[in-house]
Amino acid sequence: MAARITRAAFLLFPKGRITQMFDYTFQWKQALNRLPQMLDGAMVTMEIAILSMGLGILLAILLTVMRLSGSRPLMAFATTWVEIARNTPALFQIYMAHFGVASFGIHFSPFVSLLIGITFNNAGYLTENFRGALKAIPDTQGRAGRSLGLTQLQAFRHIIMPQMLRISFLPMTNQMVWAILMTSLGVTVGMNSDLYGVTQDLNALTFRTFELFALAGVIFYLITKAITFGGRLIAARLFRY
Amino acid sequence: MKKMTLIAALLGMTSIAGTAQADKLDDIISSGTLRCAVVLDFPPMGMRDESNVPIGFDVDYCNDLAAALGVEAEIVETPFPERIPALMSGRVDVGVASTSDTLERAKTVGFSVPYFAFEMAVTANNATGISSYEGMKGFTVGAVAGTYEAIALEAQVKEWGEGEFRPYQTQADVFLALSQGQLDATVSTSTVAQANVQSGNFGDISVVGFAPFDTDYVALFAKRDEYGFLNYLDLFVNQQVRTGRYDELYEKWVGGEVPQLMVPNVYR
Repeated sequence: MAARITRAAFLLFPKGRITQMFDYTFQWKQALNRLPQMLDGAMVTMEIAILSMGLGILLAILLTVMRLSGSRPLMAFATTWVEIARNTPALFQIYMAHFGVASFGIHFSPFVSLLIGITFNNAGYLTENFRGALKAIPDTQGRAGRSLGLTQLQAFRHIIMPQMLRISFLPMTNQMVWAILMTSLGVTVGMNSDLYGVTQDLNALTFRTFELFALAGVIFYLITKAITFGGRLIAARLFRY
Repeated sequence: MKKMTLIAALLGMTSIAGTAQADKLDDIISSGTLRCAVVLDFPPMGMRDESNVPIGFDVDYCNDLAAALGVEAEIVETPFPERIPALMSGRVDVGVASTSDTLERAKTVGFSVPYFAFEMAVTANNATGISSYEGMKGFTVGAVAGTYEAIALEAQVKEWGEGEFRPYQTQADVFLALSQGQLDATVSTSTVAQANVQSGNFGDISVVGFAPFDTDYVALFAKRDEYGFLNYLDLFVNQQVRTGRYDELYEKWVGGEVPQLMVPNVYR
């Protein structure tokens, strides 16, 4: 984009005084040479996002069950989790998973800290997604299940949950995109193998800040686009009754 | 018709702009302000005093440079990784930010002659029993992302083939991680190491030796093609040493034997 601006500026102002603003020469080759390293980083980013999403969904189902359980302590636990996850910065949650717990003598590697931080965040948001989905399912269905002799848990597992997951599927892809983007916060806890960490390392080495981060931006964009597109494809199958 | 007016206007603009050939040095002098990128998380080169005012060697150096140019100094706080964006986006005129003058970086920015030289020290958490640079082999070590010592240490860990390297975003995070036992040891400039160990904020850690890296010469940096300004910076660094101001600032902020800024047997 900026390269195009420079070119356009050059056409408009051939004398080149505009260079005062755009006097940076882009060296894309220097960044592209590092592409293999960045793609390795992208794999780590995907790995964290997928793991955090899988764990996040399981935890969110658990939290949803807790919320429906009617037990006060369980409901309070689930609500506290959701409140903290949704109302504090993801950066704070990841930082706490590293430096916070370390003050109690628990040491997680940067990878694990980042995974815990993002999973915590995912679980909180997904629980809210599930709550929205539950509202779309008539109460009568659960009651019908109960009247047929299912226990409350059985009714949830066989009747409510499949519909809940289906309804909240597209919001889940949103959260997945968010998880990918949140991996970039890993640098605050010493991560240097994910896409953003690799990019930052390369930047320190070469000072080719604009090229490298632009390239990282493009890779992030492509990954998230692929996820949204893949999500739609899967949804098209899931929603076919 | 509208198109013609636009073209005429553009032509007019280029011809006006074309006559002014002021370079960066002229721009600074006529603007009356010198904006320096300084890292304020890097004692004793750049930090803040109790009333949050920037102080340190680099801050004084920027003030001296501004005084020599006859302009006001403006300290722009710039974390290590943001030095280049700050320069390229025109937020600062010059970096007085303890920046190592590597050849790789010189492909992007222009460096003055060295204005300071660091030695690298190993600081270890006492619980680990690390007592030397070699002793770090196999341990988890870290440094501030984007610094000379981080690049060198990461390469060393790769060469050792065991242990782990972790870059943190700030010097404060590195020492926090060290005091918590998340890191077993770190390599930092000896000035930073001494300042942090003596602060007593980070518990049971101590400086256990020097790291055998090449002397870390740091230079002022500006845009690569601003020869007039870079030339001025070179002479300024030279004058700081010649007039004894460099020794004075070193004594004020660091103390001890003043490092040589000249590499023996070669020019520049």
